[in-house]
Amino acid sequence: MSEHLLEINDLDVQFHTMDGTVHAVNGISLEIDPGETLGLVGETGAGKTTTALSILNLIQSPPGKIEHGEILFEGRNVLEMSEAELHAYRGSDVAMIFQDPMTALNPIYTVEYQIAEVIQIHEKVSKEEAIEKAREMLEFVGIPAERGCEYPHQFSGGMKQRVVIAMALACSPKLLLADEPTTALDVTIQAQVLDMMNDLKKKFNSAMLLITHDLGVVAETCDKVAIMYAGKIMEYGSLEDIFDHTAHPYTEGLFNSIPSLDEDVERLKPIRGLMPDPSHLPEGCAFNPRCPYADKLCQSAEAELQEVGPGHYCRCHHVNKGVPMYFPDEKGNELAYQHGLPVSNPGNDFLEKGQKGEKADE
Amino acid sequence: MSEELLRVEHLKKYFDTPHGKLHAVDDVGFILNKGETLGVVGESGCGKSTLGRTVLGLLPATDGKIYFEGEDITHVKGKHRRELQKEMQIIFQDPYSSLNPRYNVFELISSPLRTFHLCHGKEELEKRVFELMDTVGLARRYAYAYPHELDGGRRQRIGVARALSVDPQFIVCDEPVSALDVSIQAQILNLLQDLQDEKKISYMFVTHDMSVVKHISNDILVMYVGSMVEKAPTKKLFSMPLHPYTKGLLSAIPVPSIHRQNKRIIMQGELTSPVNPKPGCRFASRCPYVKDKCRSEYPVYREVMPEHFVACHYAEEINYLDKDGTTSGQEQPEKKTEERDLAKV
Repeated sequence: MSEHLLEINDLDVQFHTMDGTVHAVNGISLEIDPGETLGLVGETGAGKTTTALSILNLIQSPPGKIEHGEILFEGRNVLEMSEAELHAYRGSDVAMIFQDPMTALNPIYTVEYQIAEVIQIHEKVSKEEAIEKAREMLEFVGIPAERGCEYPHQFSGGMKQRVVIAMALACSPKLLLADEPTTALDVTIQAQVLDMMNDLKKKFNSAMLLITHDLGVVAETCDKVAIMYAGKIMEYGSLEDIFDHTAHPYTEGLFNSIPSLDEDVERLKPIRGLMPDPSHLPEGCAFNPRCPYADKLCQSAEAELQEVGPGHYCRCHHVNKGVPMYFPDEKGNELAYQHGLPVSNPGNDFLEKGQKGEKADE
Repeated sequence: MSEELLRVEHLKKYFDTPHGKLHAVDDVGFILNKGETLGVVGESGCGKSTLGRTVLGLLPATDGKIYFEGEDITHVKGKHRRELQKEMQIIFQDPYSSLNPRYNVFELISSPLRTFHLCHGKEELEKRVFELMDTVGLARRYAYAYPHELDGGRRQRIGVARALSVDPQFIVCDEPVSALDVSIQAQILNLLQDLQDEKKISYMFVTHDMSVVKHISNDILVMYVGSMVEKAPTKKLFSMPLHPYTKGLLSAIPVPSIHRQNKRIIMQGELTSPVNPKPGCRFASRCPYVKDKCRSEYPVYREVMPEHFVACHYAEEINYLDKDGTTSGQEQPEKKTEERDLAKV
């Protein structure tokens, strides 16, 4: 087996709070090869950002704790690094682009100073040289170098995100962690930024972990995709596997929730119910309360990630039975869950109503 | 023939700033029929939320007219305005900041009912609130929960219930699903559609998400820095956008499919400032087809094809249209040839 740039093995992160233990990440394993882009997709609270922060060993402790697992970057375990090693590792080997460019920049320093700071820390250069390089980086991301001496408030949202990207790329990191880099931007600006990130990634040959909830963005930038739900990877595979041979009901639900631009759909088919509370995960498969195909087995036993095609993994009990993953729900398996406990009379919940409505449609 | 509910003519809303007049909404007009949905799209800062608020009377209009059921309501005040508020409601974008954290769900939903004295006696009020909670799909056990105990989707349902409580004919939905996850977003969109079918409510749906607006709207109005650039029935707009901005906007949407090889038009630059805008087309600085006339003359908003309005000097040339509005030549010519032809003109 070839050496991966980054390898995460059975990572488990918990947050111990006053209200109980929050299971943010429950045993995920991932690999990223040099120059590859992996899309990490999931809804709010799926544990995407926690995963990214773990890679930098930045989980705040307390309340957070990496319970077990290992994160190998070029064979070195990030979780066992000393402070000094981490200092060198963060920013030069792995850099992060944060979601909100408005808060990621310091308002009282000029942007070139902020970029130069990163360079000075990681490379043995004088202040002047660092500023010079910072200006070069600004040119790379399409900002005129003379604007380097301006302050963040003088830039628009798209420009700020470019500055943040310039800062992340300043030391040519081998791996870029991009946490929803374009969510806060308008579509036309998003198109510009994505386009630029694709170019720069090729130029610097960086690998990237792209965290997003937008499957459209994934389709345009990623090589591989991991779908995350309740701290677990539900489906993992190449772009073609996920988009054309969708195996997991949750992935299917995500696709059905997006109004299509090409087809006319009268009603959307949303995933019923809500994301489970990560401090009270349901028993069995984490997705079973919302899954249209769930049966007794799903409620009692957790599914394992199994290979459904070359390099295509799926965590579902019913994926390998040869029949389409459809199980008629005449058994009355329509149990609603609230905080992991079955609710005996869910009659009033709209979600159940929606479910019934859809059956009428079929 | 559908019945007209709301008509807006030449509506303007300017704000005074230290640097001059900010043209938030500039000469916007549209007609909304009963039971239909008008989608208003544009990027942040294009004045779409201001348009919604001005139509509702939450902001006084600088100029122009607003007719509701044939009556001019632009400058209505006092008791009459209050009556109107019962007919026109709004659902806000952010379900986190639009609900008073000190009120529980019951109080939140019942407060419009109390304000307008729509229920007499405690029992009637209770019955009505629970009815509303059923309608929007909030379990009754949440009646005495506070907003911070609920997630975004449930909070947005409270917002919907509040807007519905007074039985309005018209609701402005100001980005009601932008703050929500896709699966929850789909639930709320379905709810809004069901309510429209049931009660014949008209929506003005303000959003920046093109796929959402396509799903829910009958007509779409595209705004750019305060002005209307294009308006057409949804299908026409998506099958044949006429304005260069709309073209760019549609091609910029990331499509969740790996087979669609859409030719991306990446628009350079960013929105121009709406403060004291220069004469000429506001999109001129980013437009790939820009010519001298665009920089000096404000384009007239006109009907280029039946029901298809656009504000662009060169809509015909760009889209190969004949005078009578039919396409000539190929359906979708390559961009390069377009540019070459334009150079000849």
